[in-house]
Amino acid sequence: MRRAVGSVPLLLMLFFIGHAKETRYSPPGKPKLTSCRSPEKETFTCWWEPGSDGGLPTTYALYYRKENSDAVYECPDYHTAGENSCFFNKNDTSIWVNYNITVVATNALGSNFSDPVDVDVVYIVQPHTPENVTVTVMEDKDGPFLRVSWEPPRKADTRSGWITLIYELRVKLEGEEEWEEHRAGQQKMFNIFSLRSGGMYLVQVRCKPDHGFWSEWSSTTYIKVPDYFPRETSVWILIAVFSAFIFFILTWILNLKSNSVKHCLLPPVPGPKIKGFDKQLLKNGRSEEVFSALVVPGFPPTTSSDCEDLLVEYLEVYTPEEQELILEEGKDLQEGCLKSKGSPSDSDSGRGSCDSHTLLMEKCGEGEGKEEKHQERAQKGKRQQKHQTGWEEGDVSHTREDVLSPDMSEGRVKTWPSVFSPLPQYSSRPLDHQGSLETARQLCLSDSLFPPPSTSSHLSYNAKEGLALGSGQQEFYLGKKQTHPSNPQSQPRWHLQAHSDFNISSMDRKQAASGLQLPGFRSTEYVEVQRVNQEDMVILQPLFSSSCQRDGHLQIGQGEDYSKVKGVDSGNMLLLQREVEVKREEEDGDRYSCDIQDRVTESCYTTSTAASSQVTGKPTSCAGTAMPVQEEMVLAANGYVDQNITSVH
Amino acid sequence: MAHRGSQATTLYLTALYMLVSCTAVPVNDLLDRASQRSDKLHSLSTSLTHELDSHFPPIGRMIMPRPSMCHTSSLQTPTDKEQALRVSESDLLSLARSLLQAWVDPLLLLSSSANSLPHPAHNSIYRKIQELQEYSKSLGDGLDILSGKMGPSSQYISLLPFRGSNDIGQDKTSRLVNFQFLLSCFRRDSHKIDSFLKVLRCRAAKMRPEMC
Repeated sequence: MRRAVGSVPLLLMLFFIGHAKETRYSPPGKPKLTSCRSPEKETFTCWWEPGSDGGLPTTYALYYRKENSDAVYECPDYHTAGENSCFFNKNDTSIWVNYNITVVATNALGSNFSDPVDVDVVYIVQPHTPENVTVTVMEDKDGPFLRVSWEPPRKADTRSGWITLIYELRVKLEGEEEWEEHRAGQQKMFNIFSLRSGGMYLVQVRCKPDHGFWSEWSSTTYIKVPDYFPRETSVWILIAVFSAFIFFILTWILNLKSNSVKHCLLPPVPGPKIKGFDKQLLKNGRSEEVFSALVVPGFPPTTSSDCEDLLVEYLEVYTPEEQELILEEGKDLQEGCLKSKGSPSDSDSGRGSCDSHTLLMEKCGEGEGKEEKHQERAQKGKRQQKHQTGWEEGDVSHTREDVLSPDMSEGRVKTWPSVFSPLPQYSSRPLDHQGSLETARQLCLSDSLFPPPSTSSHLSYNAKEGLALGSGQQEFYLGKKQTHPSNPQSQPRWHLQAHSDFNISSMDRKQAASGLQLPGFRSTEYVEVQRVNQEDMVILQPLFSSSCQRDGHLQIGQGEDYSKVKGVDSGNMLLLQREVEVKREEEDGDRYSCDIQDRVTESCYTTSTAASSQVTGKPTSCAGTAMPVQEEMVLAANGYVDQNITSVH
Repeated sequence: MAHRGSQATTLYLTALYMLVSCTAVPVNDLLDRASQRSDKLHSLSTSLTHELDSHFPPIGRMIMPRPSMCHTSSLQTPTDKEQALRVSESDLLSLARSLLQAWVDPLLLLSSSANSLPHPAHNSIYRKIQELQEYSKSLGDGLDILSGKMGPSSQYISLLPFRGSNDIGQDKTSRLVNFQFLLSCFRRDSHKIDSFLKVLRCRAAKMRPEMC
């Protein structure tokens, strides 16, 4: 019986052993110390990771050794810090001391040691999270902002300086992914600006010792920002409104003044100012009609037309001292001047053909200087002739034929061309005042001396005006010449010819001429050069008849007054004198109407018979003149009066 | 050179004293600056040890001497917070200065042997050791000034001679091990200095409680 009882444990043991062999129990696996941490540099905790337990209940033990001694101690507290941990309290914790810690796992079959770990407490500090995190919304002049404040973890002794903590916080809007992190240093308060109106913000704070590990983030604090209107936006809105207002005002003004603006920006294109040009025809696209409209009937004058039409307007050059001269001869000069004007190529300065101020002065005179004037004219003509070099006699000859009286001497005939065409010559050279005046004079000489049938209230010469206006009337050569309006008949043949030759268009000037009157001028009278007698005297006779002398014949007995060219003095001045005797051609001429330059009859014209172009300067005297020279006008040396007036017709 | 250096140091200190006396920089400002320096010093040393650890032979950890073998271990320093807070300011300063002084020579040795260290990052190590020397020097000067303001007991410096040989070893492993050992000792001592100064700082900053 006893033997049976004793054999039971043996049997049990055998049974268990047999069992044990079958389940394969093993010693525990090697544990592993995962980490040791100290929250405040006063205590610390170590955690380990157990290995396999080998199927058997395994116990773990932690042993440590301090660096100075070899004594091995076991962990004082396995429970405070939880499972698989060892908590070292203040008494067991020494700083600046190396701990050599080992964990041992033990089970029924064996034990297993972990690798030892050296730990110095001061290097493993990881504080708890900051506490008491509060976020408040504060108001500022720029808007609201968040004030975040917190406290250090309870156990960390920052007051004594034992532990120095630096903080960090992070913020984000609700729904966002990214956090916005801020370092706060050692301070326990932080401001966050630039908030979104009405947004919900999340705030978290954590801390770290000066040489340690970061703590965990604190629990999230939610804060809602109230609605507010950002100041910047309001400023922008104000600016936008103001700009829109200004813009509308400008648009309205622009609309009101659209016409003037359009005028300023897009000035109207001047239309053509061609006489007879019809825009409508052009728009219609019929070129033939357009150009035919330009053709003005009667232009260019091919047939003898009304003298007035052909009259080129003369301009009287008025200079104070020459007024008297001009008065005398005003009209005469006009016609003559006009004639010569025909050349369109004349680079004329716009003066009338009879524009020389000397000539005009004579005209302005009381008519006393008529004879001188005539003389001057004659002289001028001569001079002109001389000046001309390239004169085409041929052109003139035929005109002369028409105009010249058969009485004309051969020599005179020759001089005609000079009279007729001063212009082309002059155009080739710089045409100065002098030149044009010479030309004018020449012409005047030729056709002057025809007493105008009409009253002589016509001054016609207005050199000034001519000069002034002439600039625009280049083509009309010699400027504006005021034709004598009252001379319908002044259409001497030769004038016409000259006109056709030179393509003078003077018609439109006539009217203008009539209106002009130089102050202090007497009415000018025209004299007609009747002829030149053998002694080279220009015989003048006034022009009375209103009918135009188209045939170019000299009119005899028409006028009463005339001027005799007394001669040309040394100063190249044409001296005229009046003749009291009434001859059939000669009469005292108070007035001269120099109608159109058709007539170039010089009654009292004496020249040196130099047909050459030399200026002899020889004075001429009017033959048979009984009258003393009324006046001897000294003309300015402008070449108005040609010195050489050989034969002027 | 050392003579000249000491002369320059004296001159510098004199000027500093005069400056301090003239301008009377407050003590808490000085402590603040000193603690910043010590913080930087410790950070450098920590990075150095980590850099050296990256290529450390595992066997070296086995044969690493214990930290108690540091030449400064003879100095009695507080081992926990209560002890540390019981130490007077002068003693704390004195301890800091003693520790700092004890490392002047070993740092020289370290810097001289850093170039020939069998380590891939020996250049960077060398530069950092030179930085260590600079910071250590400036901190020492500042502490000297501070000690002048804090009382006679702070003037006392414990001598901690460095009895290590003039070279750190012959073979590669021993060189590395010795180097690493010295650095570890320095790391701890720099942490001590930093802690003492920060305690001192908080004690002096009664006006600015928010800092402590």
